Amino acid sequence: MQLIDPTVSLATDAKVRAPALTDLAGKTIGLLSNNKVNADVLLTLTADLFVGKYGGKVAKMRYKTNASAPAPAETLTNLSHEVDYLITAAGD
Amino acid sequence: MAEEQAQRVHELPDDALAAIDYCYEQGWTDGLPVVPPEASRVAAMLAMEGRPPETVIATHPATNIELTLHAAAVNAVMAGALPEYFPVVVAAFEAMDKEPFNFHGSTASTGGSAPLLIVSGPLVDEIGMNAGVNLFGPGNRANATIGRAVRLIILNVFRMVPGISDKSTQGHPGKYSFCIAERADVNPWPGLNEEQGFGPDISCVTVFAGAGFCNVENHGGNTPEAILTTIADAMANYGCLSSGQSVVVLSPEHVNIIAGTGWSKADAQSFLYAAAHRSVDAMQAIGKFSPREHAFAGREDCHRGLSAEDILITVGGGDAGGHSAFIPSWSRTRGSIMQSQAIGVCIDC
Repeated sequence: MQLIDPTVSLATDAKVRAPALTDLAGKTIGLLSNNKVNADVLLTLTADLFVGKYGGKVAKMRYKTNASAPAPAETLTNLSHEVDYLITAAGD
Repeated sequence: MAEEQAQRVHELPDDALAAIDYCYEQGWTDGLPVVPPEASRVAAMLAMEGRPPETVIATHPATNIELTLHAAAVNAVMAGALPEYFPVVVAAFEAMDKEPFNFHGSTASTGGSAPLLIVSGPLVDEIGMNAGVNLFGPGNRANATIGRAVRLIILNVFRMVPGISDKSTQGHPGKYSFCIAERADVNPWPGLNEEQGFGPDISCVTVFAGAGFCNVENHGGNTPEAILTTIADAMANYGCLSSGQSVVVLSPEHVNIIAGTGWSKADAQSFLYAAAHRSVDAMQAIGKFSPREHAFAGREDCHRGLSAEDILITVGGGDAGGHSAFIPSWSRTRGSIMQSQAIGVCIDC
């Protein structure tokens, strides 16, 4: 008897990592919320910790329109021009 | 990928019981025994499709894993489906592949939804689906195995594995199989296939990311308002009131009462939308309203959905009994929008 395997191979991931920052001093921090109740609280407190330790500033928080879907490419593209690094959180 | 898939053959002795155990050992099941995906059965399943086996019919939006007709056929065999059911399985995934359905979110979320398939049109009778008594229950091979094939594909192909990538807090029994048919012989209104613009001779499947089933019982009411108020009360319960869409399956008794006095489906939808609501204050008091989080923001009242058109009404179930069903949507907002797809029709050809 020949059984056909019902699973498939994982897709090849073509994504690449952004180059790592050499330091965090004075950088602009971006915040991306999944739009759930406590995400903004978690993000704000986290950003405060980074600012307290490394300085810099926090950009205006951005929100996903659908918590369970990827952020729109336009949102991420705009953030990439505006901030040096991004903190995202799935608050709930 | 499909060529590679076709070569992944497991050679076993000709022992069906041992093959069932083998499928368990490989982690290929939903917890119940499967039909071993023997090569000739897979070929018979694929023969129902005119397209090449390597044709991709859906892609996971987060992992980019592709579902080919070949992989779908293997899992349909394992579910116990007959070849004539296969076009429904294919159309269901073509529907879920549309971005507004949000396949990843609805299959991964703690919300624990399952894709509810509603088949409408002449195919219902052609392949022997059950649209009548015990609509959501066991006993019909087509309903049971089409729904189960969907789940096995989600598990085996897309790897939405409970506890790993499927984070359902509780899930619900429909995650084994959740497939019904629209009952045409007692439906006083146009079928879903016609409503979706496919025409009376073309069947379609509508896929809805559904939470757990809610039975709506009313044996004493004998007016449209009485029946629909009962359903609206279920739709507006605090536990599942959201801005998401709804599915309402009217039993023959209930739809006879509603349509018997001349109400159209649009009338029923409008009544349900108007009646299924809570105040913003009430929602805030129980911790289920956040101006930023909810599509309800800026509204005076929190209705079920954002308009009457957000309520899909269909007809199904046995002749006797004042039992209809309300199926809440997955997600606390509008995480998924239901999608319909013609069955066995190549729209792009």
